[in-house]
Amino acid sequence: MKSFLSLLIASVAINTELFAAEAGMPQLDPTYWASQAFWLILVFTVLYISISKFYLPKIKNNLDNRENKIKDDLENANKFKEESESKLKEYDLILEKAKKEVLKIHFETKSTLDKDIQSKKVSMEKEIEKEILKAQKEISELKKNSISSIQIISGSIVSNIIENITGDKLNESSIKATVEDVSKKNMSKFL
Amino acid sequence: MASNPMQQFTVRRIGPEINIAGVDLSFTNASLFMVISATVIILFLFLGSKEKKIIPNKLQLIAEMTYTFVAKMISDTAGSKARPYFPFIFSLFMFVLICNMVGMLPYSFTVTSHIIVTLIMALFIFIAVTIIGFIKHGFKYLSIFVPSGVPAVLLPLITIIEIISYLSRPVSLSVRLFANMMAGHTMLKVFGGFVVSLGILGGWLPLSFSVALTGLEILVAFLQAYVFAILTCIYLNDALNLHH
Repeated sequence: MKSFLSLLIASVAINTELFAAEAGMPQLDPTYWASQAFWLILVFTVLYISISKFYLPKIKNNLDNRENKIKDDLENANKFKEESESKLKEYDLILEKAKKEVLKIHFETKSTLDKDIQSKKVSMEKEIEKEILKAQKEISELKKNSISSIQIISGSIVSNIIENITGDKLNESSIKATVEDVSKKNMSKFL
Repeated sequence: MASNPMQQFTVRRIGPEINIAGVDLSFTNASLFMVISATVIILFLFLGSKEKKIIPNKLQLIAEMTYTFVAKMISDTAGSKARPYFPFIFSLFMFVLICNMVGMLPYSFTVTSHIIVTLIMALFIFIAVTIIGFIKHGFKYLSIFVPSGVPAVLLPLITIIEIISYLSRPVSLSVRLFANMMAGHTMLKVFGGFVVSLGILGGWLPLSFSVALTGLEILVAFLQAYVFAILTCIYLNDALNLHH
């Protein structure tokens, strides 16, 4: 900056010296002042009119177009973004609903299955019990029957044995009574 | 004498003499370079606005940047009311800038280095701004000379100073541009003359100065066009938005 300043001062000094030497600047010669003024006004008027009528509106139009395009594009982008966001939300909602539904269905099926199993189990148990009871009855009946048949068989065996040993025929009713007596005493041990 | 640094500013008649009502309106080299500058501007704007692309090419980009540059300059200094004067200030800025830049070419003529040219532009601006001020505000526009918040004792003095400063606007505006362009070109010519006179042995120093000065002058050429335009905006702002 300092060197520039000194340079400037030096040049101004040279200039003034030269001005003094040459005595006068062409700028101050009024011969062509009118001509310069005339041509300046003419050229500048033409320039001004062509610029203000043609070129500036064109450039402004172009700039506005670009700005509008950018604005539109940005707006569109924002719109699409919002749309996609809402869609995403909708999607999430649907997903959540579906999940809930799935849970519900799962729960319902489970409970119905449980109920079914329960009822089946109960009826099965009942049936089993019935069967058991029936079997028991049969068994007890069989037992009763077997007692009487055992008594008859043992009575006949006893009479046979006695007949073979003694050759006498014993009173059947007395044998029967005796067998009954013995069997009553001992049968409880086996049955 | 070829090495006279002021010779480059001489105005010469080109072609026939045009004489209208006793006034010499001949086409001169100054007129020629005005026409060349205007042609350059129009060509630049034509090529810059020819294609309407969303993504601009280089020339279109430069034209649009110039547009936004001037538009921003106006809206920053003179506000939105100055919008109708945008084409004028744009033309003015472009004309001064391109005249300055064309003047930087060797063997060319610098239109703005003539006081008559800058004075006419400055006077036009001064008168137009004054008329705009009176149209917008009537006689209240005279309050521009009476700043508010000044002690009553100082008021007459301040008013006189304000009037003088207002009236000296066209002079300062025109002389600033003219003197800058003339001084710069004279300086370049002087250093160029030194290069020749000092020859191959001693000419390198002024040559390097010349190169540096050329860069500086290009900066000055832009800066003076900018200053000219922004001062116009400031004067316009005074006329449009009356407050002190």
